[in-house]
Amino acid sequence: MWRELEDMEEKWQNPSQKRVLARVNMFNLSKLEHTLRLQPHLLSLPINEAVKGELESLFLDKVIANLGLCISVYDIESIDGGFIFPNEGAPTYTVKFRLIIFRPFVGEIISAKLKESNADGLRFANARAFPCCPRLRNHIRFRVQNVKFPEIPKEQKESKPFAPMEIIGSLVSDGGLGPISWWV
Amino acid sequence: MKILKENGGLLTNFEVLDFLRSRGAAKDPTRVLAPLAPSEFKVYDFLEQSAACSQTRESIAEFVTKCKPYKLTKSEIVSIVNVRPSSAVEIDPLIEDLDSRLGESAEELVELVLQVFPPPPDQSKSDE
Repeated sequence: MWRELEDMEEKWQNPSQKRVLARVNMFNLSKLEHTLRLQPHLLSLPINEAVKGELESLFLDKVIANLGLCISVYDIESIDGGFIFPNEGAPTYTVKFRLIIFRPFVGEIISAKLKESNADGLRFANARAFPCCPRLRNHIRFRVQNVKFPEIPKEQKESKPFAPMEIIGSLVSDGGLGPISWWV
Repeated sequence: MKILKENGGLLTNFEVLDFLRSRGAAKDPTRVLAPLAPSEFKVYDFLEQSAACSQTRESIAEFVTKCKPYKLTKSEIVSIVNVRPSSAVEIDPLIEDLDSRLGESAEELVELVLQVFPPPPDQSKSDE
């Protein structure tokens, strides 16, 4: 497994990939536009709150393909529309808003708590959402090697819960990665 | 759903923490009254025990102006602010070509980090 990681490490050091470092960061603001229907029972609330609530239930804690895990609704830029289509009771709005997205970039260093280790590699509590109950206490720093967004499987696997976003990390480096207690 | 702008702006851990605090995460011990989802509370917990908990906007602004002579890229600066390395060994993976770009002044950069950002309570515990 480590040899595989070393090969991948060399690929990362290819100068054409260095541009990736400048692009995105662990937390990122992304602007999205979405057309949503507001249920009639929400219409008594001020429109901002109702729309925000709807956006939160739609996007919060969900992985958006190739973007990352949505943490929070940052702000709402504009709400347009409010038309009611025939045969419906709910008005439809087009909303432009910003979300805080968690998406580490290739080459970024992340601190995480080690949750599980097996032959496939180390599976961190950070891979899908933030650490909730790490079984081992080791605080590890690793470099993000690759961020994968695997396809949603047709059948749920029993043994390993499906992770819509996988972050593959590497500990291979000149120094500074691995359990933090080694260096501090 | 349409993605208008994939990369709207970099956010340091501190900025996300500040945003969650402004929504009321810190003040609510029951975690029921604040208008935040449980997943947002998890993010808040994670950020509180990271280096971001003791930072302020002023200290980050100060660090950014002071590290101009080192010519770091924006994402390297954000990484340093997020990770808060306390030794040269920790700063090595964060910056590309550390030796050729900084050489001796890598130590000074570490000193600057230690000076501007106070140590998080977690790190001082692990030293014991």
